[in-house]
Amino acid sequence: MIKAIGNSFFIAGRYLLYHKGRSLILIIALAIILFVPVFLNIIVSQSRKQLSSRADDTPLILGAPGSSLDLAMSNLYFVAKQPASITYQDAIDIEQSGLATAIPLHTGFRVGDFRIVGTTLDYFEHRQLNIKDGRLMAMLGEAVVGASAARRLNCSAGDSLVSTPENFIDIAGQYPLKMKVTGVLAATGTADDEAVFVDLRTSWVIAGLGHGHQDLSKNKDPSITLKSDDKNTVTANAKLITYIEITAKNLASFHFHGDDSGFPISSAILVPKDEKSKALLLGRYQNPSQSQTRQLIRPPLIMQELIDAIFRIKTVLDVVVIVVAISTALTILLVFILSLRLRARELTTIFRLGCGRLTTAGFVIAELFLIAAASLILAALLITLTNHWGHTLLIQMLQER
Amino acid sequence: MIQLSSVEFQYGEGHAGDFKIASADLEIPSTQSTALIGPSGCGKTTLLHLIAGILPARNGQILIDDTRIDQLNDRQRRLFRISKIGFVFQDFALLDYLNLFDNILHPYRINASLSLTREVKDRARSLAEQMGIGEKLYRHPAQTSQGEQQRAAICRALITQPSIILADEPTGNLDPSNKSAILDILLDQAKQNQASLIVATHDHDLLPSFDQVVDFPKLITS
Amino acid sequence: MKRLHSICWAIAALSLLISCDSESEKPASPPAAESKVFVSNYPLAYFARRLSADPGQIYLPEINGDPAFWQPTAEDISTVQQCNPLILNGATYEKWLNTVTVPRRRIVDTSSSFQDQWINIENEVTHQHGPKGPHSHNGIVFTTWLDLSQAARQAQSLADALGEKNPLTNSDLPNQLKNLISDLDGLNAALKKLTNNKPQLQLVASHPVYQYFARAYNLDIQAVLWEPDVYPEEQQWTELEKILTTHPAQWMIWEGPPLEKSVQRLKKMGLGSVVFDPCANQPDSGDFLSIMQQNIKNLRPVFAQ
Repeated sequence: MIKAIGNSFFIAGRYLLYHKGRSLILIIALAIILFVPVFLNIIVSQSRKQLSSRADDTPLILGAPGSSLDLAMSNLYFVAKQPASITYQDAIDIEQSGLATAIPLHTGFRVGDFRIVGTTLDYFEHRQLNIKDGRLMAMLGEAVVGASAARRLNCSAGDSLVSTPENFIDIAGQYPLKMKVTGVLAATGTADDEAVFVDLRTSWVIAGLGHGHQDLSKNKDPSITLKSDDKNTVTANAKLITYIEITAKNLASFHFHGDDSGFPISSAILVPKDEKSKALLLGRYQNPSQSQTRQLIRPPLIMQELIDAIFRIKTVLDVVVIVVAISTALTILLVFILSLRLRARELTTIFRLGCGRLTTAGFVIAELFLIAAASLILAALLITLTNHWGHTLLIQMLQER
Repeated sequence: MIQLSSVEFQYGEGHAGDFKIASADLEIPSTQSTALIGPSGCGKTTLLHLIAGILPARNGQILIDDTRIDQLNDRQRRLFRISKIGFVFQDFALLDYLNLFDNILHPYRINASLSLTREVKDRARSLAEQMGIGEKLYRHPAQTSQGEQQRAAICRALITQPSIILADEPTGNLDPSNKSAILDILLDQAKQNQASLIVATHDHDLLPSFDQVVDFPKLITS
Repeated sequence: MKRLHSICWAIAALSLLISCDSESEKPASPPAAESKVFVSNYPLAYFARRLSADPGQIYLPEINGDPAFWQPTAEDISTVQQCNPLILNGATYEKWLNTVTVPRRRIVDTSSSFQDQWINIENEVTHQHGPKGPHSHNGIVFTTWLDLSQAARQAQSLADALGEKNPLTNSDLPNQLKNLISDLDGLNAALKKLTNNKPQLQLVASHPVYQYFARAYNLDIQAVLWEPDVYPEEQQWTELEKILTTHPAQWMIWEGPPLEKSVQRLKKMGLGSVVFDPCANQPDSGDFLSIMQQNIKNLRPVFAQ
């Protein structure tokens, strides 16, 4: 019996191997039927967990009026269209009210596909982020990179990153900032893995609000100076530097023009001292005079709306997947039946050689079994791969929004 | 000894190729080689299939050694075929997805009553060597010539060491030099195995090699 | 429209979440409770050491020069990041804060309680001394502790911070604070008593750091930009002579012991020299209290009847 089964699998295996293309198409089609619903389920349950846990850790977000969903997504996931900015003074006011801790975020700049998140060390403490390699940023111009951003930017402590210019023809002459990577964060499985963190003030340097002075006379490239006379007067043109770099030498010369309380931030995470403070804050920002210039949102509520929307989509998708799965399964069945017809001559031959119907059925069943097994393995592989690498493409799609 | 008497066969009512064999006695002694001649379409292949138990006879007797195969059911005929008969089909009937080696061993893989042992595999290799296809055993049929395919089909017929070898136009697709070589191999192998050999052919040049020649059209009544 | 928007976001969120590696690494426990207390200058270090159960826990970086012009390295800041709380003098004393990353929530600004009394000066010149390059005294004056009543308020905020934030705080803190405040009050009273002898006395200071001192003890001080260990250039002497024409002082207050040569020349101009050490840096010998007592002693001839 075992020998007979072994022979059936041998012959089925040879058949499938010989008709590689045909078998592969069948296996892929079946794998997709198996993979898609499982994939959807995993994603939806993960999304629910992820969305709610990160939002639950973020009691309140203060930002400019506008779409509350955009504000929440830009603050929690650094992905939305940039919200209008508020000022650092807003965060200071909250701190001084004693009702909550305010963690300012500036998410206006990027390194390639990754957001530069200008914030304070409180953010790391609040999100319980740990350094895997290197150290936290200590000086202006230093950056700490999230785990997957570090992997994809191929950088580690000691390397440099240059901020991506927001506008190539920036007449105001703002230059990208060359930042020194001082550390890489341990992976957390959250949006923090995808970000480049700097001090809030470093963001302001990129924004052109703070600057140091380059040593013009030391520059060797003659084309960068327009005019140089005997009186040591050097007039520089815009070609002087292609990026700004903050070094130990010029650090002391870095300064900010104006009062930093008026500088922009994208939003602030507020961690109220207690429930009463939270109620007071919410009350304060519901006041019409405040709500016209600022909005205070509760991410858990907003994310719940989003989760509900995801589940509504999922219900529709489930129906679509079931319909597609049934039609694909029927098509595969049809293909199989047709292929048996095409194989009539071969089946006659094995009958003439003395093979019984049961044994013939055994070959067909073995073939089906092998295809199903290969499909299962492929589906499992696809799910694993998607979990690990599929996000690269999707993140890019998301950021191209 | 193979004995056929008053065997009738009909493909089916209204079938285009309907015909009946209502033969007088036909006797083929053991260990003899017999050529079954007649023009194409006269029923030579059908007769070989009747002897092999692939087709059931409608009437009459087919006695092989001590077995009345006309009285066996499908399963019994199949088992009889496996144990006694080696069949070389006109179209070779090799499976395209198996290499020549696996094609030769195929009867062992599709019949639970046969056991594929190391000895069988060695026999297959040695048969192939004798047939001159030892070098091409691991090629698929599509990668070999017609003559090589025919040789592989003969090897498959011989691998079970049958007492009766039936060959349907085994030289039909071959050039003259290959024809006599293949026939020699068949005759030689039948002699070695002490098997009866019945070859259906319409090639009269081959007849001198056989112990007995049966003119098939003379046996039948349409 | 709103519904469509939220559906767009739902799709985006779905794809975003795939980005989060499924096998997320659990963050280890947050940085261990910071036990060291950072202080940005010596007066604060002195106060903190007197208030703390374990003076070894007070971290004052080794600063070569005036702590107000400290240029910390990344390593220095890494150490500061481990401290809690970060006790600052405030009143723009810690200019280095603008170029570093420290946990701002742990910052305790000891002079913020009297922010409305900070002194703002304008039109000061940038000047250079020592190896650290040019600097300016423009803006808020930061030598707040030279008004000893302000120093006591700073000690009070420091004590509040230690009681609130530092788990290793001394159970005897209220008593130690009382003693410290009493010492500072004693200094304050002694200075008041001494300077009351000659209210609005006109003095010249070698450096513009005595503004709070002058205000607290009712003195009229004008400053030049001299260094005790550098003999002033002729131009600086001329500037002093010019000041003296409208501000007939008889004494110059130095931050540290001046060169004998300078003392002699001042003497010829009718100016006595006296040291009042602001004590911003860890002294080689003695402590804040003894240095201030010595300062008062040094001032006695100035206010002698």
